[in-house]
Amino acid sequence: MTENIIDLKQITVDFKDGENRVKAVNDVDLQVEKGDIYGIVGYSGAGKSTLVRVVNLLQKPTAGKVIVNNQELLKLNPVDLRKARTKIGMIFQHFNLMKSRTILGNVEYPLLKTKLTKKQREEKATELLKLVGLASRKDDYPRQLSGGQKQRVAIARALANNPDILISDEATSALDPKTTLSILNLLKRLNRELGLTIVLITHEMQAVKEICNHVAVMQKGKIVERGNIEAIFSTPQKPLTQEFINVATNVGPAVEKVVKNPSFKALTQNQQLVQLNFIGKSTEEPIISTLAKQFGVDGNILFANVEQLHDETLGFMILVLTGQEERIKQAITFLQENQVRVKLLNQAVESEANG
Amino acid sequence: MASWIPNVIHMQSEFIQATWETVYMTLVSAVIAGVLGLATGILLITSQPGGILEDSFLYGLLDKIVNLLRSIPFIILLAVIAPFTRYLVGTTIGTTAALVPLIIGIFPFYARQIQNALTEIDPGVIEAAQASGSSPLEIIFHVYLREGLPDIIRASILTIISLIGLTTMAGAIGSGGLGDIAISIGYARFENDVTIVAMIIILVMVFIVQFAGDWLAKRLEH
Repeated sequence: MTENIIDLKQITVDFKDGENRVKAVNDVDLQVEKGDIYGIVGYSGAGKSTLVRVVNLLQKPTAGKVIVNNQELLKLNPVDLRKARTKIGMIFQHFNLMKSRTILGNVEYPLLKTKLTKKQREEKATELLKLVGLASRKDDYPRQLSGGQKQRVAIARALANNPDILISDEATSALDPKTTLSILNLLKRLNRELGLTIVLITHEMQAVKEICNHVAVMQKGKIVERGNIEAIFSTPQKPLTQEFINVATNVGPAVEKVVKNPSFKALTQNQQLVQLNFIGKSTEEPIISTLAKQFGVDGNILFANVEQLHDETLGFMILVLTGQEERIKQAITFLQENQVRVKLLNQAVESEANG
Repeated sequence: MASWIPNVIHMQSEFIQATWETVYMTLVSAVIAGVLGLATGILLITSQPGGILEDSFLYGLLDKIVNLLRSIPFIILLAVIAPFTRYLVGTTIGTTAALVPLIIGIFPFYARQIQNALTEIDPGVIEAAQASGSSPLEIIFHVYLREGLPDIIRASILTIISLIGLTTMAGAIGSGGLGDIAISIGYARFENDVTIVAMIIILVMVFIVQFAGDWLAKRLEH
């Protein structure tokens, strides 16, 4: 078993909202292994930002234990807590760079309190800027940079004290898709090259899909589902998780379109609209042609998508199966036996027609 | 020339003396009230709800003191604190005695200006500094005072200009300076040219402060 670098135990965070007390985070446990990239997904207001701020005690929990790097942070005095914080880098949605300092000055800032000389600080900051690909801009000011460049500077700053952990608080939410991807790739590279543990919170499952090994889904202050990324994507248990994955894989919008399409309102008894989820090995087998050959059931593909997650392949497909009613049932059983998850969509079409 | 300023022409040394007194009162009270006001403004911003040194008692206390002192009209403040001034300086007449009411009159104004200037700083930047392990003192000196510098300079210009105005009011109780000459000679003896020249000198001082401050603030902004 690998070591847990972050171990949050029974964390509760209360906020006063006028007369009421609102539980932003409600009795949550979270363990992150050293070297992992851990995603926390949820809609805004789910409590993910609050939870992640507990890791460096920017947010003090009302109850619970915070163990980071084998230190119980709530028991540290202010000086030791600040020392511990230097080992937990953090990046933000709005970058939070100082506009009065140059790019180099911003990256140097966390080093001001160290024993390094001015020259050593500059060398270290320049080296970090090289790492994020912005060394040539070191004398510019933040307002001269684009969003993606600002986030790179923020990443360099977060790495100044050689942290073990990097917390990314919606760091890509203000960026366009292409820039998002380049920032995520940078994080992945830092994880690989520096052994950096990354906790990434986001409302986009796409970002998680890109780089995370583990993911937790939060709703109303609770983690409703968690696990490794392949398991969550292939067999999500909770409706919310399913919703996030449908958006990330485009299956959600596709199903909606198909269900609303008038031509599928008149499905006969010999037709069945199905959604198939393939996992791993089953993606490599010629399943559709087997259906035709073995059961005399034709499959008409309306939508298909294949996702590559690390070593696992996930396939999503929406089909109209046409054949004898009995044979279709047999075909579906055959699919299920081959680790294909089958969801019947006829009912959804009917309810759409009636509604 | 003599027909334009018949009285001033015989008062050159008095005008030089009075200008110097005004500059002295403005500078000394600006420095002392500046330190007091800056400290109070920083305490207000850091002790306020959600601040880096949140302390609702201290914040409430400072907030009330500042509001109270700002509510007293300066001309009344001069009279009200006269016993305190006598206790501190030994007299209530002259430029040094005028420093006491000037400082008490202007520092709450400056504190509020500083608080407003520092409120403009993005809380995210403060949070980033906290996350990187900065102590409250480091955040005050390396983040608040640095990020807020252009606005602090603007607040300072405004305060110094107000202060020049207040020094002339202190003239009413015999502080010396250009206000004193304008009132006790120009106004009381109907020597209008004295009043007008005193005013022109004050306007020149205000323009110099405004110009220098604007130039500095602009230079520091990125």
